[in-house]
Amino acid sequence: MTHTLHRQGTAENLAHDFCVLAISAQGINSAGSGEKLQAIKEIFLKHNPVNIGDIKRGNMYNPSTEHVMAATQDGTVVHAVYRDRETLIAVLRDLKDADTGISIVVSGLFDHVGECCQQAGLKPHTIEYSLGVHGAVERLPERSITEITTMCGHGQVSFNLVRRMVREIEAGRRTAEDAGKELARQCICGIFNPKRAEELLLKLASK
Amino acid sequence: MLVDETKCVACGNCIDYCPMNAISLTAECAAVDQAECVECGVCLRSECCPTGALYRPELNYPRDIACFFSDPEATHPSTDVPGRGTEEMKTNEVTGRFPPGMAAIAIELGRPGIGTRFTDVEKVARAMAEFGVEFEPQNPVTALMIDKRAGTLPDDLKPVKVLSAIVEFGAPLEKVPAILQRLKEVEGELETVFSLDLAARVPEDGSLPFAGLELPYPLSINGKTNVGLGKPRFRE
Repeated sequence: MTHTLHRQGTAENLAHDFCVLAISAQGINSAGSGEKLQAIKEIFLKHNPVNIGDIKRGNMYNPSTEHVMAATQDGTVVHAVYRDRETLIAVLRDLKDADTGISIVVSGLFDHVGECCQQAGLKPHTIEYSLGVHGAVERLPERSITEITTMCGHGQVSFNLVRRMVREIEAGRRTAEDAGKELARQCICGIFNPKRAEELLLKLASK
Repeated sequence: MLVDETKCVACGNCIDYCPMNAISLTAECAAVDQAECVECGVCLRSECCPTGALYRPELNYPRDIACFFSDPEATHPSTDVPGRGTEEMKTNEVTGRFPPGMAAIAIELGRPGIGTRFTDVEKVARAMAEFGVEFEPQNPVTALMIDKRAGTLPDDLKPVKVLSAIVEFGAPLEKVPAILQRLKEVEGELETVFSLDLAARVPEDGSLPFAGLELPYPLSINGKTNVGLGKPRFRE
């Protein structure tokens, strides 16, 4: 389950994309974890994420923030996405203070995440790198499309839906903001960053 | 996934939502290519069909396997974790799954957005098995192997298409360059893409765990950091 890894992009456009994940360890601290994961969701929401989700309940765009927040099962996985380092530091400080014992993983530019951990008084334990996409890469669309679709690591956002959103923005049938949210609806975990998608879609539509 | 022909109005709205491009349209009705559909459930969850014509029938082996690997809401019995993967590095401070000096390697066939058949999954698994690796026991691909030392999969499973499947194992850090070099040799034999990742403990001095290793693939500028808040902490 490497769904928050492999987000493609440049240092510039990844600088506003931080995904925070909370997960319990099956058979060790998963029993009774629902209450702790609920507390983590509350912390996530307090800091105004651009997306929040629970793999068992969906994300803030499908069906709604209220549904995501209403209940939390033991052993689920919860996520939130933030746009800037200052907020990430504040979230990490709150998570440290809450001391739930649930594992927390942050995805983002390593330089930035490392700095945020330091500011929050945290010492990274394990890190995971992407080593890129290989094999029959000629089957992939242009990079500007995969920079958007790879924000859903479970592959729920299709290449064709991104192309359709671009066409609809160009035709004036949909705003880029709405298109970003429509793409985010497909990623049920809530790790898709609709604001970053909006920016990337606008670039594609203006070409 | 199937289409109820009595409900479908042939609007075509569902076509672009399918990550596998498995839906096509005739004059009267949409149709789902069963050889390409991976039962990911995107078309259902998106509510893209205005008449509710799309539905998932009861799935039997091996089609249920496609669902476990493609629908993040489905949980494979071998992992108890939603989705096609495992906890891997995410709970490493609690599980101790990857101790210092060990790397975790995950090769995710079919990602991003292409999908894979188990034929390709087995090609990679067999090549990695040459190094005597122990495949991650909690991973659903490992659970399906009929020979876990050789990395072989059942013949009836090989044509099945899934959104992605992960070949996952641990290896001593010093073996990583040779393993990845072997993977590079297999690349040309694959009909699909794969996303590759590499995880390890951060050394006590905070240095990068792969510093000094000559790897045949470049390391990304972004990735995942387990910030070490899980408890109880695993004691080596």
